[in-house]
Amino acid sequence: MAIKLKYADSLKNYLRLDATIEADVVRELNTHLEDKRRELIESGLSEKEATETATRLLGSPQIVAKQMYEVYSQGSWRQAIFAALPHLLVAALFAMRCWQNTFWLIGMIAAIAGSVIYGWCHGKPNWLFPWLGYCLIPVIAVGILLIYLPGNWAWFAATAYIPLGLLVIFSVTRQTIKKDWVFASLMLLPIPIVLGWMVALELEDKLIWHEQLHEFAPLIALSFAILALTVATFMRIRQRWAKVGALLVLEILILVILGLGGKSTIGFGGWLLLVLLSLVLLLGPALLERQMREADRKRLKSHNKSTRWLLPIKWSKRN
Amino acid sequence: MNYERELLKGNTDSLLLCLINYQPMYGYQIIKELEKRSKGYFQFKEGTLYPALHRLEKAGLAQGKWQRLPGGQERRYYYITLKGQKTLSERLSIWQDFAAAVTLIMQPATN
Repeated sequence: MAIKLKYADSLKNYLRLDATIEADVVRELNTHLEDKRRELIESGLSEKEATETATRLLGSPQIVAKQMYEVYSQGSWRQAIFAALPHLLVAALFAMRCWQNTFWLIGMIAAIAGSVIYGWCHGKPNWLFPWLGYCLIPVIAVGILLIYLPGNWAWFAATAYIPLGLLVIFSVTRQTIKKDWVFASLMLLPIPIVLGWMVALELEDKLIWHEQLHEFAPLIALSFAILALTVATFMRIRQRWAKVGALLVLEILILVILGLGGKSTIGFGGWLLLVLLSLVLLLGPALLERQMREADRKRLKSHNKSTRWLLPIKWSKRN
Repeated sequence: MNYERELLKGNTDSLLLCLINYQPMYGYQIIKELEKRSKGYFQFKEGTLYPALHRLEKAGLAQGKWQRLPGGQERRYYYITLKGQKTLSERLSIWQDFAAAVTLIMQPATN
């Protein structure tokens, strides 16, 4: 029985699917193990031998989970387009130079807020995360603007706003990692690009800022169009390694465009910092997920130990 | 050996559709039935059958339903859908033409 539970546990560890599908798959494979075990016992094996043989014949949980993941990981074209839509809207905003059009801006904010609320209340589907990323961007943008403001605002930003903003981002990222770390990477994808363009635009001087915005608009639009392509590719690819690879390669390509456009203000050192930040935001969730799982495992172990100690007490009380 | 594996891989979906078209079955039953009908030729790696069944379900060719047996055990039975039946009949016709053509070349009539 312990072997069977161990198999189900490691299968769950590798599956990374929606909770209902995951529960269905584990339940189905458990019924298979039970059938096989019964057949082996009838053929003369001991219970322990039968359980071991049945799990061995079912194959490595890692391989079964990988194949199951590939069945369910591919989103439809409709989902891919909807997931890429927020980036396409931003690309269109800069391509058509309508960042001062109130109607357009209000429409975008309403679309982002509406999609996030709808997705959050409907089981966090995969298309939600690029939209969710845009809810985090104002938090970062306000922090940067505060740094550029005169007087005590920079001090306020450094001591109060930025730590609080980082806490909010960290908490949303942790929630997303509980589903799957690759979605956290997908969500955080635009942050280095927005940050890079904000620095390249030289926000401290309003006149230069307007000039730069007009000059860089086509490149900004191009970088967000590539971001949309990245998200659509991510949604359509089945293999996990290819999904992560697409995020990495296309993000670096966008940073190259950003580096070529805003080279004079960002500088090579600044550009390298942006690349480093991208790597941290894309791969950091994987490490965080590992830590969270390890902590969960330890908590479960200590909980099991404490309940094992309680068991004889409960029994003695009952008797 | 690789050739055989590739042939099986290319026809797994058709074999599974063919079996559940005959009658709705659950995973373990499908493995046994494949082995029995092919006189031991098809011995599926057990773990790989379930991803194949779920692939059929995601493509809308089959539908899985949990059912309780008289003994109390639960099984996930796979039913062929209308789309599955249509796909199966198309594949059967292609397979028959293909097999006939291969036979004509590989085993030419001696007379």
